[in-house]
Amino acid sequence: MKIAVCVKHAVDESELRADPSGKPILQGAASKVSTFDKNAAEEALRMKAKSGGEVVIVCVGPAEAKKTIREALAMGADKAVHVVSDASGRDSLATSYLLWKALAKSGPFDAVLCAEGSSDTYEGQVPPMLAEWMALPYAGYASKIELSGSVAKVEQSLEDSSQTLELTVPFVASVVSEINEPRYPTLIQIMQASKKPMEELTPQQLSGPDAPTSLSRVLDTRVQSMNRKKVVFEGAPEETATKLLDALKAEGVIGA
Amino acid sequence: MESLYPDRAAEYGEVLSALGRYMQEKILPLSASYDAHSNSIAKARSELLKNGILQISHPKEYGGLGLPFSIYNLAIQMLGAADASIALSVAIGNTVAEGIQMFGTEEQKRGYLPRLVSGDALGSFSLTEPASGSDARGSKTRARREGGNYVLNGSKMFITNAGEADLYFVFAIAEKGPSCFLVEKGASGLSTGEDLPKMGMRGSRTAEVRFVDCRVPAENLVGEEGRGFDYIKAMLNGSRIVMGSICVGVAQIAFEKALEYSKQRTAFGKPISEFQLIREKIADMKTNVNAGRMMCLYASMLKDAGAEFSSEASQAKVFATEMSVGVCDSAIQIFGGYGYTTDDIHRHWRDARLLTIGEGTSEILRMLIASRELAHSI
Amino acid sequence: MTFVVWAYSEAEGVANEVASAADEIAKSVSGSAAVIDLDQERPGVSSPGRKLVLKASSPLADSPELAAEAIFRAAKAAGPSAVLLGATRRGREVASRLAVKMKVGCVSEVFRLKAGAEELQGERNMYAGKFLSTVACRFPCVATLKTGVLPRLAGRQGSVDVIDLGALSPKVRLLGRAGKKAGTVDLKSAKVIVSAGRGVKKKEDLQMIDELARSLGGVLGCSRPLSSDLGWLPEEHHIGLTGLEVHPNLYLAVGISGQLQHIAGIKDSKIIAAINTDKDAPIFQAADYGVVGDLYQIVPAIKKLVSGG
Repeated sequence: MKIAVCVKHAVDESELRADPSGKPILQGAASKVSTFDKNAAEEALRMKAKSGGEVVIVCVGPAEAKKTIREALAMGADKAVHVVSDASGRDSLATSYLLWKALAKSGPFDAVLCAEGSSDTYEGQVPPMLAEWMALPYAGYASKIELSGSVAKVEQSLEDSSQTLELTVPFVASVVSEINEPRYPTLIQIMQASKKPMEELTPQQLSGPDAPTSLSRVLDTRVQSMNRKKVVFEGAPEETATKLLDALKAEGVIGA
Repeated sequence: MESLYPDRAAEYGEVLSALGRYMQEKILPLSASYDAHSNSIAKARSELLKNGILQISHPKEYGGLGLPFSIYNLAIQMLGAADASIALSVAIGNTVAEGIQMFGTEEQKRGYLPRLVSGDALGSFSLTEPASGSDARGSKTRARREGGNYVLNGSKMFITNAGEADLYFVFAIAEKGPSCFLVEKGASGLSTGEDLPKMGMRGSRTAEVRFVDCRVPAENLVGEEGRGFDYIKAMLNGSRIVMGSICVGVAQIAFEKALEYSKQRTAFGKPISEFQLIREKIADMKTNVNAGRMMCLYASMLKDAGAEFSSEASQAKVFATEMSVGVCDSAIQIFGGYGYTTDDIHRHWRDARLLTIGEGTSEILRMLIASRELAHSI
Repeated sequence: MTFVVWAYSEAEGVANEVASAADEIAKSVSGSAAVIDLDQERPGVSSPGRKLVLKASSPLADSPELAAEAIFRAAKAAGPSAVLLGATRRGREVASRLAVKMKVGCVSEVFRLKAGAEELQGERNMYAGKFLSTVACRFPCVATLKTGVLPRLAGRQGSVDVIDLGALSPKVRLLGRAGKKAGTVDLKSAKVIVSAGRGVKKKEDLQMIDELARSLGGVLGCSRPLSSDLGWLPEEHHIGLTGLEVHPNLYLAVGISGQLQHIAGIKDSKIIAAINTDKDAPIFQAADYGVVGDLYQIVPAIKKLVSGG
């Protein structure tokens, strides 16, 4: 089995600070393997343990992403492909295209696993876009993947239900964090990761006439105000419960 | 890291960040519960050891990574911040491995080191006795040669990992004088006592170890009979730096908690961090933690360079352990009533408080430092 | 050329939210909006304009893969400037696939939409909700809309046009569907957390709080006394300075006084709400929305509203 895991070199959102004007200090910000990519890598490693084969880490990211890629390699993957590309200005359409082309060059793969979304931007668009570019069967938000021969049975976790899907191999899937507990690489594995093969590619090498341009962009980012509103409702339970729920709905924090 | 190790910074950095992440995610969240439940760290410690922390400074031929001792020292500083009990237990285990690595026969090294280093076995350093701590030569534990064995009689007190360890590194007086022996768990005549109730470091197990006609094969004598005192002195040098580093970690976490609290707690209409006397504490705590960190790092770099470092190790331990008790005390003060009534705040002080005593009291170490100075000034 | 906005979600309530957004956008540019239904017309879904019912040889609504292809084919003929979908899990898949098929940009989970001359603008959370970004996408584009924010369009209906797209077959087979079992989402990644404190009198009462958490799509947490002192919940549920630091979209503190050590664990939450009998409880100083009242009355009242609504 040859399994690809798409990994993102993400901004470590827990360490990200704002400057006095409220803009995120991205220059020199701490970075990490996007949190749920580890679940995807773990799932791939478990599939490899069952069926034998190879796990390849694929990352579209800046030069600094090498450290992130090595972290994923340290979990037990066999090799990596790094498409060296600066993040700024590149949207999910362009990213998924580059991943497609990199996978085409390093493949063919039996399975391509991604996270449900990245821990910094959480758009959740790259995995289904990738499946569309690759014209492969796709299951998003997988909480369980069972392979038997050339068929994969996937438990898909939706908002309030769970679906069972059947896909033929090769396929693309995104996984939810509940699917597994990612392993911690041992120190020996950390040290050995830098010896594993890492192929470098450029967008120019990969892009063809069908390459999209980045059509969506971020205009402005600012810190969300931390001042609490301190609105207090008093009165009969039905009244206050209603007011509270309405306020929370208006804030967009309840609902799917 | 780049300035200290220009060639290997990336590699060392990755090892330490991976360890740091492991401790942050797997150990720190449960640290308060290890304090709340005595003798509770076994599973977490075993997983950490198997992840490879003791491989750091041991040679590759015995399953280690062959990295500098200073990198291990930095790892222990992080571990002290994550959980002091686990740090103490793991560090003592490493002291035993170091002793075997430095003074063991090739057979002993091959027989014990790989398992100790990989985390499959745990060591316990058995030196202190009910009636002799600082005065090691006053040991009453005797080792009598009988045919192909040594027979040990005596008891040890306040031994970390007692009852859990797979291997005891025992200091006893043999015919030719102070000597060291490797006693395996299950040896006849070896028994351990109940876990001793402690004011801090509660997650780790501390107990008496008793030898009643305990037979060990003669091959389990470490090095030469009569040279045991030299061996433990050398082992303690490294161990003392590590104890200092545990305290640096404990002080670090206590400081961070107090700092955060000072920004949020208000009095007289403003956060208490606005008041000068709190700012003085913040500045002193930070300075002291840093100073402790630097002293431990310096002593470990001397060790790595093969230079004489026993005085620097003692200085680092005296300073770092005493400053840690002070920093943890200031943290309690900043938390005010909550500091006194919240286990999770005062446990740092209770944890740090051991280490001005264990592995060389501040008093005995000051004697060592002073006599070194006076010897040199002749 | 007239500006047309399409709206779609596989979930009826969300479809009405997206429809109202489409209506707003269309009005602001003097254009028109249409709502998409798949397989058959849904009377529960309103439209400010036409309704386009897309059918094919295979069911479309349950297959994001076919839904995207169907909408794509209809869009090729009709040329909408924007296709808006609800940001449900399936909605995101439809939108993403559509964007690749149409070779257009796609913005994810946006709210406060605006239409400019050349592009659609909206806002979205970034960096685990710590930041807010304004994003833009050139027309024609696709967007998924944050659910639960917009009002739901109701009682409007225009003409219904049915488009049969012929033979379509999915690569993925749907074998079955079941309601969700009790989740084991961990607190650190939970988007909604309902936490219990000393105001809860008995361990058995935690069930009520847990049910509230689940009905809001969240997980149960607690303040320190319930885990460390009383042992009613394992340490893994303890939120606070010495427990977990969480950053959900909603943190609802039930019967928690709001001591600083607890607040330290929740300060990065997007919205903090609290229920407490004591109007001087410090939690109200740290919350966005507070209810002064008895949790034993308020919690059932909320549950009734959530399951009824």
